[in-house]
Amino acid sequence: MSDWQPDVRSTLDTWKEFDQNVITHSAAHHLMAIDDLVGELGYARVSDVARRLNITRGSVSISLGPLKKAGLVVQDENRHLRLSPAGQALVAGVKSKRDLMQRLLTEVLGVGPEQAQIDACKLEHLLSNETAGRILSFLQFLDSGSGRARELVEAWRASAPELGRGSGSRPAADSSLPGQKASAEPNKGITR
Amino acid sequence: MSSLTKSELVAELNRLFAEEVEAALRYLYLVHAVRGINHLLVEPVLKKGFQETIEHAEVIAHKIRALGAVPSLKLNLALGPDKVDAKEALEIALTFEEAALEAYQDTLRRIEGDVPLEEFIRSQIVVESEHVAELKQLLVE
Repeated sequence: MSDWQPDVRSTLDTWKEFDQNVITHSAAHHLMAIDDLVGELGYARVSDVARRLNITRGSVSISLGPLKKAGLVVQDENRHLRLSPAGQALVAGVKSKRDLMQRLLTEVLGVGPEQAQIDACKLEHLLSNETAGRILSFLQFLDSGSGRARELVEAWRASAPELGRGSGSRPAADSSLPGQKASAEPNKGITR
Repeated sequence: MSSLTKSELVAELNRLFAEEVEAALRYLYLVHAVRGINHLLVEPVLKKGFQETIEHAEVIAHKIRALGAVPSLKLNLALGPDKVDAKEALEIALTFEEAALEAYQDTLRRIEGDVPLEEFIRSQIVVESEHVAELKQLLVE
């Protein structure tokens, strides 16, 4: 009994933390859609966000309410939406966490690109800054091209060759290391 | 005739269908989510909104069937806060009614040239505009 009680408490604490996350998955996508649209078109309207996310205007309008209240989204007199500096910082953080997760999953763990994109999308807004910082540090270690980093990844791949078969098109047990491939800027927006 | 293909027209109508069905479900939710003494005052307004949006959804579904297609419903139901007072409920209703009105206006621009459909959408815009005006009036009073 006493063995599992601390675990239960820990799980409950994690659940509370999850529930009190700054933004929900849906909110993260609304913010990123506004950011992308402003970047592409120079403006973002509710209708543009609705089409981008393939949902109704009603849903977008309702979802934007709390984001406006939280000061993350601003709507001007022409009903054009933009992110506040706080919203921009949040989106930058979420995007960099997605990039980090995608790199970790595809380049290190060999998960197929499509599955990696889906999983990174699920995790991007939930990952703590501390964990993102650790992943970044780990990827930088692999990027350093040191012999130990290469040995580590190759040893893992050799021990479980079946893990190299991702659901996407990436070849199994790719012998190259993350640092030998083009990479996004993983540390953009990450605070440690 | 509209420059849109039949499948594009159906997609437009399916979007409106989803707007109306979601609006109906939001009204239904709001009827039961309103707290406080004033819930008695707004309940009839919300129930009327529920009835009317369901009827609108049905009319749009018939239009889709008249085009030889089957209505396709993709819902993403953002409901808003768990508990609301009467004023908040009306504000939420105004938010999604305005969104529906804009959706009809947007569709009208896209289907330009398809006179019967244009007329139908115009009539819906009139009705939606009345809903928005009623809600705004209630919020002022």
